[in-house]
Amino acid sequence: MLSRVADALFWMSRYLERAEHVARLLDVCFHLELDLHGVLAGPHELQWTSLAAILQQQMPEQTQAAASPQAAITHWLTFDLENPGSIMSCVSRARANARSVRGTINSGMWRELNMLHIQLSDPGFSRQAVESPHEYYQAVERGSCLFQGVCDAPLNHDEGWQFIQLGKHLERAEKTLRILDIQYHLLHDLDSPEDLPLANLLWGAVLRSCRAYEAYQRIYVGRIEPEHVVEFLLLHPHFPRSARYCLQSASDALAAIEGLAPGRKLSEADRELGLVLGELRYRELEQIMTGDLHEFLGGLQKQCGLVSRALQRRYSLR
Amino acid sequence: MSDATATSGPVGDDLFRGYKIGAVYDEMFESPGRPRPHYQALHRRLQSLTPEDCRRRKAMTDLSMRQDGVGFTVYRQEEGIERVWPMDPVPRIIPAAEWETLERGLVQRLTALNLFLKDVYHDQLILRDGVVDPRLIFEGTYFRREFMGATVPRDIYIHVCGTDLIRDADGRYFVLEDNGRTPSGVSYMLQNRQVLKRVFPQIFNQYDVRATEDYPAALLDVLKHIAPGGRPDPTVVLLSPGMYNSAYFEHTFLAQRMGVELVEGRDLVVDQNRVFMRTTLGRARVDVIYRRIDDDYLDPLTFRPDSTLGVPGLVNAYRAGHVALANSIGTGIADDKGVYPFVPDMIRYYLKQDPVLPNVETFRPLVPSHMSHILANLDKLVVKTVNESGGYGMLIGPASTAAQRAEFAAAVRARPRDFIAQPTIALSQHPTFVDGRLEGRHVDLRPFVLCGEKIVVVPGGLTRVALPRGSLVVNSSQGGGSKDTWVLAR
Repeated sequence: MLSRVADALFWMSRYLERAEHVARLLDVCFHLELDLHGVLAGPHELQWTSLAAILQQQMPEQTQAAASPQAAITHWLTFDLENPGSIMSCVSRARANARSVRGTINSGMWRELNMLHIQLSDPGFSRQAVESPHEYYQAVERGSCLFQGVCDAPLNHDEGWQFIQLGKHLERAEKTLRILDIQYHLLHDLDSPEDLPLANLLWGAVLRSCRAYEAYQRIYVGRIEPEHVVEFLLLHPHFPRSARYCLQSASDALAAIEGLAPGRKLSEADRELGLVLGELRYRELEQIMTGDLHEFLGGLQKQCGLVSRALQRRYSLR
Repeated sequence: MSDATATSGPVGDDLFRGYKIGAVYDEMFESPGRPRPHYQALHRRLQSLTPEDCRRRKAMTDLSMRQDGVGFTVYRQEEGIERVWPMDPVPRIIPAAEWETLERGLVQRLTALNLFLKDVYHDQLILRDGVVDPRLIFEGTYFRREFMGATVPRDIYIHVCGTDLIRDADGRYFVLEDNGRTPSGVSYMLQNRQVLKRVFPQIFNQYDVRATEDYPAALLDVLKHIAPGGRPDPTVVLLSPGMYNSAYFEHTFLAQRMGVELVEGRDLVVDQNRVFMRTTLGRARVDVIYRRIDDDYLDPLTFRPDSTLGVPGLVNAYRAGHVALANSIGTGIADDKGVYPFVPDMIRYYLKQDPVLPNVETFRPLVPSHMSHILANLDKLVVKTVNESGGYGMLIGPASTAAQRAEFAAAVRARPRDFIAQPTIALSQHPTFVDGRLEGRHVDLRPFVLCGEKIVVVPGGLTRVALPRGSLVVNSSQGGGSKDTWVLAR
């Protein structure tokens, strides 16, 4: 496979996954906003401003200073093409990458991505983001799901498919780690008995941000416990959005790609990925919880960054 | 052409209400209200439609094209303006017997053009024998002297040819021009059929329409046929300038349908006259390149040194016979508008046959009697710059101003090699959906001819239609659209 094509497939997949994450985070925020009124008085700006931290984007000053931070942040994260992390930016980039390899991907993949782009660019539909946010953000998620469907079903699970998987799982792992890191920092001292209803609501939102709420509820009964959330989102071997599962899948994809090379040696990307995966596979939960979680999660995120850079060096052009 | 000369009259009281048959040839009607035999079933079907049906089909067509992302692109920065090339859902129908003549004429023409190119890059007998003026060749922009004496695989220069045909008021076909460099449009021919089957399936029932589906496979056969050293299982790639090229959709479409890699210049590297592509597993050898990059940009070491689209060293690798190119280098001298008037002579010279398809009568300023005729009749003629295409650099006499004519007169006198002149031919017209009813719009036809082991014409072609009322310009860049083109099996 052409290196340029591998690169484009990887980024196409990552950008679409990223768009889906932003959409879900916003959707969860809107729902939470409505629920919070009954529990907590006053403005709830923190959950909106924390989005910028999760997405690691520097919010422009006028957005920070806007009269209605919710509307300004929503617009900035949804439509602003100046913001490389906005949904429209990500979907446009995913589409541009797909377009550059239209000869390689199947026509269904291109069609789904193109239709999503057409839908989201439509001014009439864009109004939904304000009037009926759930409908708008659901469309992004549905578009991403359809894309993955047409990608998995009729495409050979060949090298190109593996690059798509690699991009998707690395992106997911990084987002899960990031959400957990920021939210745990914000929520961990909500532990007095009178805070419990609020804590339950907020931790539920964290799980929903990772599409993990229902899966979590099937395993752990009762009020949501921060420690269980950490265990589930970080270490669960089978939940498809846990950091461990995602990195394991990324590692499998990489092994499939590199296994094709004759006389292969362990590559740098392989090694970095193995190191971060080892932390999640063999580290005890108790040890993680008694230590500095922020530092631990920060280390994992840094390690993921090294994996991405090693991949770029190995597979990008020239 | 204006409607003032039209013999107008109502030809129906439905979608055809007010349909005008001008002084031109109408593809569907022999006279008002009387469709030609091969159009009768379609005509009945169209009569049964309401304006609402008509609008709906048109909207479905547009949506279908948009969702598939079929179109050409005008890019600014990262976010591009992608325009969908409008398709009209009323198909153009060509009866079997008519097609048989076209096919024969196209095969004959491409045979002669390939013989001409071989001759002109080797012995130049046709110039020695005085059939073609040597000055035309040596002063031609697209003559590649760098390529003299080079041998090309199987002596084929033009592997893919798009020949533009038009019909005069009597319905006779003429060749307007040959496109022997990197002709485009074939993906629209294929895509239009797919779309029409989706939005208008009923109208196929009463016709035996020949399939066009085979084109990608036929093209791949041609490309494999020219593999260096007759290698049995060559690696074929399609070389594209990339996603900013206006025909990028077509490049991806053909690469996908043929199952070959779509590469850009930066994906290829030449090492010791062998061509390789950079892959995730290292370098992989390339045998045949279907290139959709013009000569000028192909290889900065041979042609334009500032080209970043090409591959340094590619031309030498080709000359050395380690890689094959389709189309070959320097084919532009055969579709040069200045050389065009001589194609019928080439057919007589090389094949000892009379041309099946006539040229449009053409005046050449290099001939003194032609020059005086051109200057005296600028208001009636179409004057074309020989090196321009896409409807640029043209003077359409009847629609020109005195100032434009004076400008062209001066230019023709100063640079006679750079111009030709032809009578203004009104293209034939075809019923086309316009605002919920049918109106006549001018059309041309570009069939695609492939030359490999033998010459094949895929039954069909791209019918381009000038959508603005009265317009004669069918180019996509100037408000043109297209139609599905049916060749009937019997």
